[in-house]
Amino acid sequence: MYLKELTEIGGVSGDESRVRDFIASKIKDKVDETHVDKLGNLIALKKGKKNGKRFLLAAHMDEIGFMVTNIEDDGTLSFSPIGGVDPRVVPGKRVKIADKVTGVIGYKAIHLQKKEEIFKVPAFENLRIYIGTDSKEASSKLVNIGDSVVFTTEYREENGRATGKAFDDRAGCSVMMDLIDNIDRYDFDVYFAFLVQEEVGLRGSAVIAEQIQPDVAIVLEGTTAGDNPEVPEYKWATHIGDGPAVTFMHRGYVVSSKVVQNIMSIAQKNGIPYQAKRRTAGGTDAARLAGTWRGVPSGVISVPSRYIHSPVSMIDLNDYHNTVGLVEKILDEGEVFFK
Amino acid sequence: MDIKKILVELSNTDGPSGYEEAVLQKIEKLIAPYVDRTWRNSMSTLIAEKRGNGKGKLGVFAHADEVGFVISKIEEDGFARIEVTGGIDPKVSMAQRVKIYTRDGATSGVIGFLAPHLQKEEDRKSMPHPDNIFADISCSEKRIRVGDVSVPDVEACEINSKISGKALDNRSGCASLIWAAKMLQKIRNEWDLYFIFSSEEEIAGPGARTIAYELNLDKAIVVDVTHANEKVPGYPLIKLGEGPVLTVGPMVDKSFKDKISEICSRNGLKTQIEPAPIHSGTDADEVQITRIGISTTVVSIPLLFMHSPVETVDPKDVEETARLIAVVAAEMEV
Repeated sequence: MYLKELTEIGGVSGDESRVRDFIASKIKDKVDETHVDKLGNLIALKKGKKNGKRFLLAAHMDEIGFMVTNIEDDGTLSFSPIGGVDPRVVPGKRVKIADKVTGVIGYKAIHLQKKEEIFKVPAFENLRIYIGTDSKEASSKLVNIGDSVVFTTEYREENGRATGKAFDDRAGCSVMMDLIDNIDRYDFDVYFAFLVQEEVGLRGSAVIAEQIQPDVAIVLEGTTAGDNPEVPEYKWATHIGDGPAVTFMHRGYVVSSKVVQNIMSIAQKNGIPYQAKRRTAGGTDAARLAGTWRGVPSGVISVPSRYIHSPVSMIDLNDYHNTVGLVEKILDEGEVFFK
Repeated sequence: MDIKKILVELSNTDGPSGYEEAVLQKIEKLIAPYVDRTWRNSMSTLIAEKRGNGKGKLGVFAHADEVGFVISKIEEDGFARIEVTGGIDPKVSMAQRVKIYTRDGATSGVIGFLAPHLQKEEDRKSMPHPDNIFADISCSEKRIRVGDVSVPDVEACEINSKISGKALDNRSGCASLIWAAKMLQKIRNEWDLYFIFSSEEEIAGPGARTIAYELNLDKAIVVDVTHANEKVPGYPLIKLGEGPVLTVGPMVDKSFKDKISEICSRNGLKTQIEPAPIHSGTDADEVQITRIGISTTVVSIPLLFMHSPVETVDPKDVEETARLIAVVAAEMEV
């Protein structure tokens, strides 16, 4: 399991190189080929014993975060979200800019706010990152416009739960790395694609099907749980602790029913707990893989995660291990996906 | 030990109002070498005394508590409701890891926030109501009970020679008192000098006023923090790094404040000024009206983002505040 290292690395969409370098260094001696494509996707191949079919596993390396959009006269930095970040989770957090400069996102103290301001949603255009300087000149020596900004949450495990940032989708990346560590050679080729730019419109995955031409794909995700106490149970997307979530339908793609059924019956047969993802909001790279080249039937299996797209999310470690176990069984019985 | 290390250590020690003991122990260890004796009063205030010739008594106050949370209800399925102790803005509290102090020691929780994918449009228009804020305690191995206190789980760090972390309101003030005691160790003060680390300021509790009564002080300097780099219309801009701030207002004895100003300018100590037309929002408001009245002043350390997990101070301001306390204490005479 590589969750600690993976989640503590910063890698917003378009700036995934540190995540990619870490993954490449860990997997390069365990697969037959690796290469980085024109967009920055890392593609690894474990060759099959027989020529022919191709099974693709994919997870995205990028996380939500921000970009520095301006350096203000007082030395603070203006910034804008990369991916979907709720402005209500942003003030009062520490961030890292360009992987080197520490800053904080403050907010006017509660004592100085008018009553009606307290419950007002902060606007990104009014938020600033403070980096300990008091002039544009001083800040310009430390950072540049366009630099990426990430939260700095450290990874922790306690009571069977893991907390940290970027489980969407370093959880998927870690599952794939575990599989690379665990699996034997199959008859078919297994491709592992570590993708860029998912959070800004499923962009990295757009060039994958054309390059690999897989017969089937499974996208591994850290997906929304939504089982917060204020949300009635019938609205939960998933419930953490109930097993890997299997998607039957989401934005832009109704998952091929054959793929869904194969995933679920393999889980049942092997006694691996799973749950259906019970909301259809949000999309994944599966929509791209299904809609590019001549179309790849693509399933989605996710580790349910609370509070994603915020500085601190939570997963159940059993869900994680069951996801690894389920995908391993899927590969063991991979031939059914080619029928 | 340098001032940055003291700031980081005190920031990282947890002590929400009423639960200051861990902080007081750290402070006591740091200040003990420079004073004649230390003790606690009945309201969990720590006093460090440096004796003079007994002709007058100067108390220098800094509150040791910090804003935090308290567990108010345990829900099913690993969640708990929380309330704030002291003024905390919901805007700086969401998606935040917290430390919770149980009877069996510290444990973790997360103030969770629903992913944007699942939010309803109408909920996006305001911060969540306090009734809807919860701590996810499913990641805790320890049993959490109603009444357990909690603080943001953040470690202080250095940002371009500033220190950022939680509770720098008012551990910065505490640090300046320790530093002043160190500066004064080889100076013989005429007045008896009391460094006072008081409890429960953030909830306007009994800490400072009870010890002010007990010690029967002649003069008091209340050291706290104030808002820096935030332009308040009609008020002077207080800047980080520009030195301690002297308050003017009804809670301040103007002649004492003027004397401090004069001592500062004689010692090349730069100060800023903050008008407080009604209240100072510090312990000074209560200390002044203790017993027959105490000649009181307020000295504040400039601080960014008060009552948030990313409060920030300039260690130079803390050192200069310490120097102010030291030179004033050294010049107090009957």
